[in-house]
Amino acid sequence: MDNIYQPDLMEVVETQQQTSDVKLVKLRFRDPDRAKQFSFRVGQFGIFSAFGYGESTFNICSSSNWKDHIEFCFRRVGRVTEGLWRLEPGDTMGFRGPYGNGYPMEEWRGKDLIFLGGGIAMPPIRCAVWKALENRQEFGNISVVYGARTTGDLVFKDELDEWARRERTRIVQCVDPGGETPDWKGEVGFVPSVFERAKIAAGANSIVLVIGPPIMIKVTMKLLTAMGVPAGNVYTSLENRMKCGVGKCGRCNAGPAYVCKDGPVFSIEQLNAIPLDY
Amino acid sequence: MSEIIAQDALRACVSEWLAAGKCVAGPRQVSWNRVLYSYLKKPEELLLDSEARPVNSIKEFFFPKHEKLYGYKIEGNDVRLAETAEALPEQVILGGRPCDAAALPILDHVFNWDYKDSQYNARRAAATIVTIACATHDDACFCTSVGLAPTAESGSDALLVPFGDGSYEVRCLTEKGKALFAGKTEQSDKTAPAHAGPEKKIDAAKVEAFARDHFEDPFWKEHALACLGCGVCAYNCPTCHCFDIVDEGNAAGGERARNWDSCQFSLFTQHASGHNPRASQFNRQRQRVYHKFRIYPEKFGETLCTGCGACTRNCPAGLGILGIATEISHG
Amino acid sequence: MSENAAFEPKIIAFVCNWCTYLGADLAGTSRLEYPANVRIVRLPCTGRIDFNLLIKAFEMKADAVLVSGCHPGDCHYTSGNYHARRRWMLFRELLDLLGFDMRRIHFSWISGAEGHKFQQVITGITEETRNLGPYKLYEGKPAAYPKFPETVLPLGDFSTEAEMRQTARKLLSEGTVQVVIGYGERGPIFVSKAEDADKLVWNRNCLTNLTAYLKRKEIKTLGKAAIVVKGCDERALMVLEQESQIERENLHVIGMACEGLGLPKCAGCNVRQPRFADEAIGEAKPAEPIDHYAALDVLMAMPPEERMGFWAEQFDRCQRCYACRQVCPMCYCEQCIVDKNLPQEISPSATREGNFAWQIARAFHQAGRCVGCGECSRVCPAGIDLWALNLTLERAAEKNFEYKAGMEPAATSLIGSYSAKDEEAFIQ
Repeated sequence: MDNIYQPDLMEVVETQQQTSDVKLVKLRFRDPDRAKQFSFRVGQFGIFSAFGYGESTFNICSSSNWKDHIEFCFRRVGRVTEGLWRLEPGDTMGFRGPYGNGYPMEEWRGKDLIFLGGGIAMPPIRCAVWKALENRQEFGNISVVYGARTTGDLVFKDELDEWARRERTRIVQCVDPGGETPDWKGEVGFVPSVFERAKIAAGANSIVLVIGPPIMIKVTMKLLTAMGVPAGNVYTSLENRMKCGVGKCGRCNAGPAYVCKDGPVFSIEQLNAIPLDY
Repeated sequence: MSEIIAQDALRACVSEWLAAGKCVAGPRQVSWNRVLYSYLKKPEELLLDSEARPVNSIKEFFFPKHEKLYGYKIEGNDVRLAETAEALPEQVILGGRPCDAAALPILDHVFNWDYKDSQYNARRAAATIVTIACATHDDACFCTSVGLAPTAESGSDALLVPFGDGSYEVRCLTEKGKALFAGKTEQSDKTAPAHAGPEKKIDAAKVEAFARDHFEDPFWKEHALACLGCGVCAYNCPTCHCFDIVDEGNAAGGERARNWDSCQFSLFTQHASGHNPRASQFNRQRQRVYHKFRIYPEKFGETLCTGCGACTRNCPAGLGILGIATEISHG
Repeated sequence: MSENAAFEPKIIAFVCNWCTYLGADLAGTSRLEYPANVRIVRLPCTGRIDFNLLIKAFEMKADAVLVSGCHPGDCHYTSGNYHARRRWMLFRELLDLLGFDMRRIHFSWISGAEGHKFQQVITGITEETRNLGPYKLYEGKPAAYPKFPETVLPLGDFSTEAEMRQTARKLLSEGTVQVVIGYGERGPIFVSKAEDADKLVWNRNCLTNLTAYLKRKEIKTLGKAAIVVKGCDERALMVLEQESQIERENLHVIGMACEGLGLPKCAGCNVRQPRFADEAIGEAKPAEPIDHYAALDVLMAMPPEERMGFWAEQFDRCQRCYACRQVCPMCYCEQCIVDKNLPQEISPSATREGNFAWQIARAFHQAGRCVGCGECSRVCPAGIDLWALNLTLERAAEKNFEYKAGMEPAATSLIGSYSAKDEEAFIQ
């Protein structure tokens, strides 16, 4: 019986604590055959589980070019993430996926890429940034505006610094007003306003990936429209609560769209056709 | 020429099926004021000719309220998974109504949407569905508004149409139905009368359009005030199929299982961040109508409702799809 | 019986840190041997020992459970053990109704100086449990459905509908309230306009306990409310007020005199006349008193094994729809214990074990609070006799503490208070 709910058994390779409550986990398939035939598109997600605690949904935040393992990044907020937090290298965990539609990066070729996000929205951005950097010639300028509540909440800090050293790549980091430390050298403010101040060139040849709550998308879209970026060029990754990941449990729909099957990646043009149900 | 069977002969069939190791489910009086579809241990338990409608639906024989997906054993760093190896016995679902049976081909769509749910499919394959056509209907019924009828055949392997004298005309609709009743029926030149069923009460197309175009309408708020957010409607609906997945066990292992869930519960769509896209009961009531009349038809070409009236009959607060759809249909 | 010879019972002892735990310690240091079958779980105080823990222990295959703490008067936190004692007096009655083998549950007061007593108690329990054999949740044949005594089904005449509508109309048009919570043709309605007052009805279908709506945030936003209540519902208002869930001054109560809805709960009703309403509508003749608890005697006459079989068959039907919870005015927790998963105290799964745990929790959380409106039983899609669970605790409250929820405005919560004088005979 081919049980679609049965996960692959994965070995935890490494865990990296990113902030006081955020961890990055690197895992690989215990079954080498499965490892060989597995592939995914950046932007897709998986259902990761700690046996005994339960399953939870996270974006696969590694680049699809990295063949020997996959990664996910999570905040410790509840029962399942508590179980995931307790995983150590060598432990076994579960993975189901890849699910969802992924970013249409083939359509982004030749364009400037702008990534906007805050806090725990960085992981689904990170995989796209790495993928773009690894296929550098296919894309134009890369800009990232990333913010968090405080300096202690920024994730992938060392990678952000690494990206800043790459060609035609500009990284702007910010923290919310009041979240800066005395030695903070980045910007202060919310991501949309920092983006505006940063005067990043954007127009009809830009692709923007903005990940955040509906209000942030709304504010950002106003700015982008004024800059001449069409709604079809702006993308987001929705995060509704999920359980099965395969379109059956009926939980994740945003209006008529199942986030696990029709998404999680939507263009703003598509999102405008979806009622506020996310 | 038709085939007929008397009630005694039908009960005798139940005896035979039970003796052959099949599971037989049908309407059963479970307590002084409650009839439910449930597994029968004896043919006398089968309730026929009763006005009392089972509160639940037959979906639980294909999509149980609690179903093990697989077991896991934890040994140090290692985990071993164990599939549910129990072979499914054959089952006969006897005495459901056309609105119950029609729900199954509708559910087949979502359970096979790209990913095939093997446990659901196995139960479907192992079951023969013998439906009894309706000779009466009540105020809550509206099957005729969603393309069905008291003698609708969709989803049934055999349809028994009552003559009114305790015997039934047996219409075998599939190979399974024919095999089940082979040699059990008598020939007759009578055909059973068809009951007309309720007159059309709702306009499904209008409900779909309203759900699509009036998502933020104050109508939803006004209508849902009495809703208490329990799971009676979803759990007893033949077509509702939302579920949750849980791990239950201890440090040595356990099982991952799925349980029924309902979009009416307040935590159904709660995000880990604390944000809830459907924080009010009226958003949740709207979702139920939306899923049934807009999303499912758009994705699978069928309304996720068979007009059985279970939600309307059993809602503690007197709500249900019929009421809300009627209001929308008539302006 | 050869199985029993090899069988070593698992005893879980929930003990308080300050007395029994020290008593156990003393037994150890005094070299008093006691069987290793006991696993000790230390909590700060017996007052902290949730009854759920006992059920959980049995779910985890304990064969017997001991709950032990400081002697009355000696509690480290002054009154924790008084609360515990009161809780256990009520809880045991529920377990007994369910057919639980009460020989597997033990309570004791063991002080820090009573190492010997600890040894004796543990040794005694271990021996007794060894003879009882392993604990199993019911696995036998279902019991035959018992014959409950017939009762009268009083039915009133509901002639005061017009007066009720007029009252509602007046309250709305004068702006005294912004919404009237009342009964409509099909179920509860919320009337905000005076001209809609005719949508309100008063008839034998006015079954819902409308006070259950007062906790819902969607209803609170409608503004100052008037609510139509029958006597049974009015009792709920009193409990809600005692538990600080409503501000009585902000609620306009329309009390309907009621001579019965034709339901079993109406037999012998002693609250037919509104007692504390802002508007009392109608006159009701008093009911013939009956023995409310007669139906429970039928269940208690069944041998425990059979009784548990009765409940197992009923609980197997439970779908976990939580209609019983949602219609109950007393179930107002923002997040119900069954919906919490850190830890998952009660299994959310509709299995026999999970359903027993849920039903026990739901019923026991009503101890001393349930007003007997019967809504839980009425709305249960599976037809489970939930009323019997609640009624048992009602009887326990009356028998042990002369307490009836929602009758005395000045009363304090039964479970929330304690007395040094509570008497029982089951604590060693």
